[in-house]
Amino acid sequence: MLTLSGIHKQFDTAVALDGADLSVTAGTVHGLLGENGAGKSTLMKVLFGLLRPDAGSMTLSGQAYRPHSPRDAAGHGIGMVHQHFTLAPTLSVRDNCVLAAGRGLGLIDQHAWDRRILALGERLSWPLDPDAMVGSLAVGQQQRVEIAKALLAAGVDASGPLTGRMLILDEPTAVLTPPEVEELLPAVRRLAEAGTTVLFISHKLPEVLRICDALTVLRGGRTVYTGQTLGMDAEHLADLMVGAGRPGAAGRGAGAAVDAPVRLSVQALQVPGALHQVTFQVRAGEVVGIAGVDGNGQRELVRAILGLQADATGTIDTPSLPANQRLRGPHRIGVIPDDRQREALVLDLPLSENLALGDHRDSPLACAGWLLPAAWRLHAQDLVHRFGVRVPAGDVLAGALSGGNQQRAVVARALHGGPGLVVAVNPTRGLDIAASADVLGRLASARSLGTGVLLVHHDLDELLGISDRVLVLYGGVLVDSGWPSCERSVIGRLMMGLPAHA
Amino acid sequence: MLDLRRLAAVWPAVVAAVGAAGLLLLGLSIAGVDPGEAALTAWRGAFGSWSRLAVTASEAVPLVLCGLGAALALRSGTWNIGLEGQCLLGMVAAIAVLVTMPPGAAACAVGLLAGALAGAAWCGIAVALERTRGVPLVLSTILLNTVAAMLLGALVQGPLQASGSAAPETAVVPEASRLAMLASPLHVGAVLAVILAVVSWLVQQRTVLGFELTVAGRNPEAARFAGIPVGLRTLQAALGSGALAGLAGAVQVAGVTWFVSDGARSWGYAGIAVALLARLHPLGVVLSALFFAGLAVGARALERRMEVPHDLGVIAQGLAVAAVLLAGALAARKRT
Repeated sequence: MLTLSGIHKQFDTAVALDGADLSVTAGTVHGLLGENGAGKSTLMKVLFGLLRPDAGSMTLSGQAYRPHSPRDAAGHGIGMVHQHFTLAPTLSVRDNCVLAAGRGLGLIDQHAWDRRILALGERLSWPLDPDAMVGSLAVGQQQRVEIAKALLAAGVDASGPLTGRMLILDEPTAVLTPPEVEELLPAVRRLAEAGTTVLFISHKLPEVLRICDALTVLRGGRTVYTGQTLGMDAEHLADLMVGAGRPGAAGRGAGAAVDAPVRLSVQALQVPGALHQVTFQVRAGEVVGIAGVDGNGQRELVRAILGLQADATGTIDTPSLPANQRLRGPHRIGVIPDDRQREALVLDLPLSENLALGDHRDSPLACAGWLLPAAWRLHAQDLVHRFGVRVPAGDVLAGALSGGNQQRAVVARALHGGPGLVVAVNPTRGLDIAASADVLGRLASARSLGTGVLLVHHDLDELLGISDRVLVLYGGVLVDSGWPSCERSVIGRLMMGLPAHA
Repeated sequence: MLDLRRLAAVWPAVVAAVGAAGLLLLGLSIAGVDPGEAALTAWRGAFGSWSRLAVTASEAVPLVLCGLGAALALRSGTWNIGLEGQCLLGMVAAIAVLVTMPPGAAACAVGLLAGALAGAAWCGIAVALERTRGVPLVLSTILLNTVAAMLLGALVQGPLQASGSAAPETAVVPEASRLAMLASPLHVGAVLAVILAVVSWLVQQRTVLGFELTVAGRNPEAARFAGIPVGLRTLQAALGSGALAGLAGAVQVAGVTWFVSDGARSWGYAGIAVALLARLHPLGVVLSALFFAGLAVGARALERRMEVPHDLGVIAQGLAVAAVLLAGALAARKRT
């Protein structure tokens, strides 16, 4: 039904899709697998008309297909359910569906919509109440509304066929409870049996193996496997997703001496619903990598270490805790947060103030509660120079810098002055290859100067390349992979929640 | 850190104020009033002589204090719309102290302090509701304004009513407990207001506390990652802003009215407009408050001399704020 071949997509200098292929048979459930950053989202955005490919061809039902907007894609019978719902919680189910299908001006025939929604609900064996307020529904029910909305927008009607339609489900089980998953999966099968083609994106291998007829695995923007589900097993898929990789890539250190001082000690850390009995240490002069698929507790772990997770229990011993009493030198913690615009920078303040943030209460930038503006200027000039932040002119607002230079500023702020501990989350997100290498190189040289680095990173190649030890977070449980004396595939299996050895 | 960029950011405010005044005069000329004469009359009425200037400056004092309070809260990202109620509570606390304590400078000082504390406490109720029950601060502060007005009305007809008086008024503050006059009706409170404006500016620009308040207001999440205690800083800003509003009420009682009667005031609401016109700059607040007071005093002169309704002054204030917000929005759009 749908064929994508040789799709290329490049953002600035970062290649997101490097000749990806996808071929989906009508009326099947097709699984799409891949690590974070493998290109799944980009491919789906291309398919749904949110992005234009740089090269490659797409055919839908035998005809060339070049969607220029999601509405255009819907017009071709393709509906998409995003991982994060796009529902208006204060509107009724009916109004949400009308909104999604909205075709300009005109009157809305409420009864006709009610009939459509009820009929669709019946066909999916899901009771849908058109008058229910979306915000008052449980998450699983909201997802049904989301699916119904996507199908209706893609032109499925009360009597019309479900054949010839296609539904993209982006990690649909990520937000669901286990019983809700047990209701969703059979419904997805029913949709396929009624003739709708389903593209099912997931990280959870058991689910994929259970309901998909065929599979495509993406890695590094390319298709590395496509074929029937029959005969595949989870271990083989995990190996395919993670790949053989670049063994012992540049920059691994000598590892910390066993008697090196402990910079971070986490004991039995517990965050309800996110982390279970997490225990590990980071010593001076080592990079400890935390691998894992996003959403397995990384965010809570970092927030707990920084003293920002109020419901965390257990012992976290850093040279200084809480984070708002950080000291200088070996007692300092440098932080490279995940989201530079939301968590790291104040975009409408000048770069010099952003570079001082975090050190702004200590000597030499402040004295007895008073700021020393001259020292701030020197501090900014020093960091800009040493870390190669390219600044258009003078002291611009942080928001005026390019993404790469914003990240350089965040890295400069975290690494200057030899901190005792650095907590870095996805430090190369959105950077091109050269800039990524620069950031990783700076982390490596901080390590060689005795900094302990905790690196939470979604890019497994980069993570394995620099880490002295690799721990894997899955479902809030932290497991030591044994890296570097283990196979890369072991880490892949642990990331998928499988036993380390087949 | 006053630099050229920030100075440039202040200029749209001046342009907007002048533009709004121009628009108003255009309206006057359409209504058949000679705009040149009207402008001159209003100007003379507000700033024409030392004595007129004293009247305008005296009217500006509560606006400066409320404006500083509003600017402090807004800068930390807190929408304290309850300056009005906090100001009223400040008046109540001040008059209670001023008419009961033995007359003298000590009574005056304690009265002002009580006013500030009462304003902070009134704001503290709203903050407590937000922190413990999740009541949005915008709603609770605005609703507490009504409660404060009711409370004031009940008190001036009850425990605080002057003995032997039938009117809803308190007793008069003894002469020795009043704020000293600089040039009647301008009182020492004006000096206090200017000092507090300078202190606000120093705190905002030159202290760790001020920097942390700004960061907490602009990007609370980044502030938390940088180890700034965001909840504490916004609490400090909210209480400080309530204290400034309460002080405004107390200063007005001790320096101008010398008693409190039932009825509406609007310095708290005007303070928000004053702060917005000044784009939250503490020194700008002084100029902005003078502008607002000048419009009000000038409009009264217009009404006396040329029989133009003094509501025009209020319209001009509204136009000026709208123009400044518009200029700010346009400047922000140009930047991105």
